[in-house]
Amino acid sequence: MATTTASLTINSSDLVGDALSLSTSNELNKAGTTTGIDQTTGMTKAYLTATTNIDIFPTLIEGSMAFAGKSSWVYICNKSLDETEYATITISGNVIGRLYAGDFLWMPWSQSEDSAGENLHGDIELAPSVATGMWFEWCMINEGTEYPTAV
Amino acid sequence: MATIDATISVTSDITSSLSISNSMTMKKAGSTTGLELTTGLARRTFTSTNQVDLLTAGSGIAADVTASKSAKLYVKNVGSSTSDYFTIGLGNSSGSGTATVNDNDATFFELGRLYGGDWMIIPWIATSTTGDIAIQPSVATTMNAEYMVFFE
Repeated sequence: MATTTASLTINSSDLVGDALSLSTSNELNKAGTTTGIDQTTGMTKAYLTATTNIDIFPTLIEGSMAFAGKSSWVYICNKSLDETEYATITISGNVIGRLYAGDFLWMPWSQSEDSAGENLHGDIELAPSVATGMWFEWCMINEGTEYPTAV
Repeated sequence: MATIDATISVTSDITSSLSISNSMTMKKAGSTTGLELTTGLARRTFTSTNQVDLLTAGSGIAADVTASKSAKLYVKNVGSSTSDYFTIGLGNSSGSGTATVNDNDATFFELGRLYGGDWMIIPWIATSTTGDIAIQPSVATTMNAEYMVFFE
């Protein structure tokens, strides 16, 4: 059994009247259990040179039920150093938000099927704001990976 | 201008190389100026399985969150249960125990589940039709969530 621990701290000395300090940590377990999740895509490092909206986990099989009701976590970071450059992050076409230079996100991912069956695992998508080249990192830590059959 | 630093650390023995360590300073959109507004850390108690809005686009502080601005949302399930969870999604909450149907028609889409102790931090763009943050407890026994928005 693997052990994966995710921690976050948020600090600010001047946002509010007193210092803000938030710290949290948790172990990532398989859904509804105390067993650690044990699979990962590994960390991808990508240099994108178009503003095209892309699926960032393209190797996962469309329509897979391997993910249903299971636990998956997604990390995405915009590694750009230009504060004007951002990436628009969407799930199955619905905008979550923009990651500006240096920003990251960490979120659970249900990989839910949509009602029309058009996005069978609720694709996570990323669209750079410029075509001049932007660096990104992303990773999924999960249980129940299923890959497409070779053709 | 304020300085708000968020640091994430993920350690794992799934593979020998899986490790995430990163920090970000929350800034206004397209700027080097720090975010300077916050909701503060809010706590909400749930006692039914109704799907409701945690944050409603265009209402309250969310009225200040627009596509041209920057915002970050933190949510945590402060319970300790490994079986009870919150389902978090973008878009219209149903107000009932039956969640709004997932679709890519800009009505609602499920992001994921937060079990006891789980947390998330995401950018938030509250102006689209899926701009609401919807939450649904998995059980009707008392569950608590904490959340905080940083915005401009």
